[in-house]
Amino acid sequence: MLDFFTIFSKGGLVLWCFQGVRGPAATAPVNALIRSVLLQERGGNNSFTHEALTLKYKLDNQFELVFVVGFQKILTLTYVDKLIDDVHKEFRDKYRNEFQQKGALGLLNGTFDFKDDFMRLLRDAEESSKVRAPTVMKTFEQSLKSQKTVKCMIETRGEKPKEKVKNKKNKGSKKDGTEAVAAPSKASAGDKQLSAAGDNKEELTKDEILQKNREEFFRRHMKAGEKSRSPKPDAQKEKGKKPRVWDLGNSNAKVLDYSNSATNGSAEACPVEEFDPDMALGDKNREPGRLYDLEYESDDEAEEEKVVQNPSKPSVKKGGLGGMFGMLKGLVGSKSLTREDMDPVLEKMKDHLIAKNVAAEIAVQLCESVAKKLEGKVMGTFTTVTSTVKQALQEALVQILQPQRRVDVLRDVMDAQRHRRPYVITFCGVNGVGKSTNLAKISFWLIENGFSVLIAACDTFRAGAVEQLRTHTRRLNALHPPESHGGRTMVQLYEKGYGKDAAGIAMEAISYARNQGFDVVLVDTAGRMQDNAPLMTALAKLIAVNAPDLVLFVGEALVGNEAVDQLVKFNKALADHSMAQTPRLIDGIVLTKFDTIDDKVGAAISMTYITSKPIVFVGTGQTYCDLRSLNAKAVVAALMKA
Amino acid sequence: AMAGGLEPHLAALRRELGGPAVLSVLVALIAVAITFLIWRFVQGRKSSRKAVLLLGLCDAGKTLLFARLLSGRYRDTQTSITDSSAVYRLSQDKSTNVTLIDLPGHESLRLQFLERFKAAARAIVFVVDSVAFQREVKDVAEFLYQVLVDSTVLRNAPALLIACNKQDVTMAKSAKLIQQQLEKELNTLRVTRSAAPTSLDGSATGGPAQLGKKGKDFDFSQLPMKVEFVECSARGSKGEEGEADLEGLKKWLVKVA
Repeated sequence: MLDFFTIFSKGGLVLWCFQGVRGPAATAPVNALIRSVLLQERGGNNSFTHEALTLKYKLDNQFELVFVVGFQKILTLTYVDKLIDDVHKEFRDKYRNEFQQKGALGLLNGTFDFKDDFMRLLRDAEESSKVRAPTVMKTFEQSLKSQKTVKCMIETRGEKPKEKVKNKKNKGSKKDGTEAVAAPSKASAGDKQLSAAGDNKEELTKDEILQKNREEFFRRHMKAGEKSRSPKPDAQKEKGKKPRVWDLGNSNAKVLDYSNSATNGSAEACPVEEFDPDMALGDKNREPGRLYDLEYESDDEAEEEKVVQNPSKPSVKKGGLGGMFGMLKGLVGSKSLTREDMDPVLEKMKDHLIAKNVAAEIAVQLCESVAKKLEGKVMGTFTTVTSTVKQALQEALVQILQPQRRVDVLRDVMDAQRHRRPYVITFCGVNGVGKSTNLAKISFWLIENGFSVLIAACDTFRAGAVEQLRTHTRRLNALHPPESHGGRTMVQLYEKGYGKDAAGIAMEAISYARNQGFDVVLVDTAGRMQDNAPLMTALAKLIAVNAPDLVLFVGEALVGNEAVDQLVKFNKALADHSMAQTPRLIDGIVLTKFDTIDDKVGAAISMTYITSKPIVFVGTGQTYCDLRSLNAKAVVAALMKA
Repeated sequence: AMAGGLEPHLAALRRELGGPAVLSVLVALIAVAITFLIWRFVQGRKSSRKAVLLLGLCDAGKTLLFARLLSGRYRDTQTSITDSSAVYRLSQDKSTNVTLIDLPGHESLRLQFLERFKAAARAIVFVVDSVAFQREVKDVAEFLYQVLVDSTVLRNAPALLIACNKQDVTMAKSAKLIQQQLEKELNTLRVTRSAAPTSLDGSATGGPAQLGKKGKDFDFSQLPMKVEFVECSARGSKGEEGEADLEGLKKWLVKVA
């Protein structure tokens, strides 16, 4: 029933493979599994679907092995998890010597003749899933329902559930007798206290102690009932509502005006306060008119470190005798990490990440993935659990921020230049993230590198959008006049006013650029919320029809959990409304307003994790020079900083 | 006279420090310090660069090359997610050996692993997929550029071999063609990478290093390290059972070790 079962090392060597009867080669699906799950830190749950196959996998972090099983998606095999665990244990025990040899030589030279053992385990697993006698249905007498009376299944308003249970328990012991008794008492449904009391009075036949306990219980209930009932009669006393009287309600505005009509506009009427010019001006030695820079105190860093160290100290002291030995054992020699060891540390790291503005669900998934990667790993000497987990998390974060494809806009523009067609970049995003500002910055950068730019004003909705772009164009042309670039205008605006169809304007702009020989076309679209279906359709149409070379999603660094929702819905809209086989999705992200966040840089992680597309530009201000590229190590350092 | 001079000093010391116990502690500390220094010295000598790194894009054939060199047999491989290292004995000479390190080629991992191992690199083998080269030339050039402008690599100048793998397939490009294309591409990359926006913490993405000579077209001979091109086939032309065609590679390894 299985298509294949592979065992390979994390270094890439396939140690053993079982090809099922029907199955195609195992390499392609397993490669897809590695690339999309393990390398993108989505290793939280252990199953993955690729075309028609479901793949389940297990990592052995001690010996750096991966076990993968693949079977048809339509089958639901219940024994697969158990099979993987059994195979893992057996394989590891059988070939322990090869693994413990240093380096990859053990893996290369060893022969892993595992077929017989595997077939045996497979047979056992299949049989264990089959062998389960069909469950016999319970008869009515055996079920609990027959033991309940009709009475206690009727729900009266405000019926305390405890009383119901007590009745059921009591009645369950004597099925037949109580049924007859309960039936007439059904009629006395009404006040809950009375009915309950009535029922229990009829149970006098049995335990006196039970009865006494129940009376105690009811007394307590009565007290509560009385309390709840006492405010009710008070409320009843007031007949009708009396209008509320405000103190100054009936007076008109003149009485309420406390301002002194003489003071407004006349300077002398203000009482002369004690005016101390020294206190008001502050520093006497300042130069008049000069604006000083912010002064950073370097003491902050030392304070932060002290604060960080202090919480770690009490946790060390907390151990006690057993804790001391555990800690020593952990410091020296080989100790393999278990889930229990890692959980408190991972919790703290997850909270730390969320405090740094990483979206909550992504922080959870990341921590799960890191836990899976570290489970069973043998720690070296003198390394603590915290340091191992932190190291692993740091590597995972750097891995996520590394671009999965080449990020070199200038190179691609040169390519398009050679083919004599314009390179089209489209900017999309929600309202107010900085699309137009960053578009201007990017066009400045392109002009500095000698490419001519056509700006297409496809934001035909927002008031002032076209004028904004026109101002930018004028400024850029002033900075780079045609004379200094051999007589051609480096920047031009293509606009058709407001209210027109954005996709049509974009198409016209692109053909105009092709005719006039512009190198790059930057298409500015209107901001739209991801939930707004008609606007998302319009955006998807613009992108599908014009097929831009680069679709950039502009997101601000201040966004928190919203980032996940925005990106998912934008991608979904682009995928749904495209007619092509492989729809154009978001190709890259522009992270804006980066100067407004101190070190809460988590939005970068959220966005790249969701889309697995790189961050192409980072905007750090409103002037033309505030355009940067992402430095993964710096961002991760800021993220992991205490 | 000297002994006489020292005696009152020692006596004074002993009196001040309060007995021989403190003196023995001092002696122990000095012994520890000396041991520590010796250990560091030995460590420094051991970590001389003896590693040969196998770099390249995904699916270039690095892991198979690694397996062939070490065991001679063909092995099935998957995408590597971590490095593998082993000691490789060059021919019959038992004294010279190098540590072969196979690094993952996937985009998210390669720079991290390069960071870790670049300081120990005595030589770098850059494996190129000759069949898919035409399609991937920009990616190959970008990775090669990142390796070449790295400050540690420039400082140590390890010997560089560009192994054009998968020559057993008929569509494979020759080493000469690959060299020409890479030189052209790196020439363009010099301009575009240095013009990219500066990185967030101020360091430029292209690095302060300029690849090759300014003003002239880029050539591999302008680099501070020795660069060679060699054709090889890890799978071997006779299929999986046959030998791999790695003669050029092995000769170069002997030269470099």
